[in-house]
Amino acid sequence: MDRELDAAGSGIFEPGETIGMPIGKVGVWWFLASEIMVFGGLIGTFILFRIAHGGWADEAAHVNWRLGATNTFVLLTSSCTMIMALSAARTGRRERTAHFLLATVLLGLTFLGIKGIEYTREISEGFTPASGMFWSFYFLLTGLHGIHVIAGIIINATLYVAAIRGTLWSGHHEERLEFAGLYWHFVDVVWIFLFPLLYLS
Amino acid sequence: MTTADNHDREYIMIWVWLVALLVTGTLIFMLPISKTAAIALIFGIAAVKAILVLRDYMHLKSERMLVYAIAAVPLVLAIGFALVLIPDIIFRR
Repeated sequence: MDRELDAAGSGIFEPGETIGMPIGKVGVWWFLASEIMVFGGLIGTFILFRIAHGGWADEAAHVNWRLGATNTFVLLTSSCTMIMALSAARTGRRERTAHFLLATVLLGLTFLGIKGIEYTREISEGFTPASGMFWSFYFLLTGLHGIHVIAGIIINATLYVAAIRGTLWSGHHEERLEFAGLYWHFVDVVWIFLFPLLYLS
Repeated sequence: MTTADNHDREYIMIWVWLVALLVTGTLIFMLPISKTAAIALIFGIAAVKAILVLRDYMHLKSERMLVYAIAAVPLVLAIGFALVLIPDIIFRR
């Protein structure tokens, strides 16, 4: 295929064309890679300290595994609604896309609400980040994850508003949804490991 | 049934599996097995759930090797950093 040359004699490529995927997707995965380093380092350190300090069974007995399991169910369901939104967008079903985006946002808010209830109960019982190493790790890990959930909710809410206003459907709308979905599913994957780590073991 | 409907059915089936694995993992510690076996099972189930989300919701099964490389390198590094801390944290006297 004859390619148009620029002034420097180089072939003019579309962004991402040389690597065979949208450049935005590469960017999102690079960002997720940095998040893997953050959470991976924290989780690995928590596991090592837990082994070194006898398992922290007494401290861990005070976390509410039922609320943790409920939150895991909420987040898994939100992952499903997020992928359903992308599937609807790819097939031009605009109203369905908006509905599933709204469901994802509401489920994210539900997750934060349940987390808030947990924090309130734990703090009222005297367990704070200064209560010992287990609780320090617990509030750090779940708090950092919660901040990521908030960011994801803001992103998804922005996409929902764009969907109902009709501005989502211009340009690369599928890519925007896909990138937001990648981030949201990653947040879910982190919680999939945090739940057994903090609540079940 | 359209292709879109097939995809939607697949995503819902994955969700059903994820919820089933969640319930199973939550009930594991009620089984009459050793604590070590229970923890191994719980994290094994968590790994399966993560793989389902990565493979089917994040579409890793159809992505290029570049994505695998971008995701795998920090994972290996994070595990390596944790491993090199073992002598200092676990075996320190």
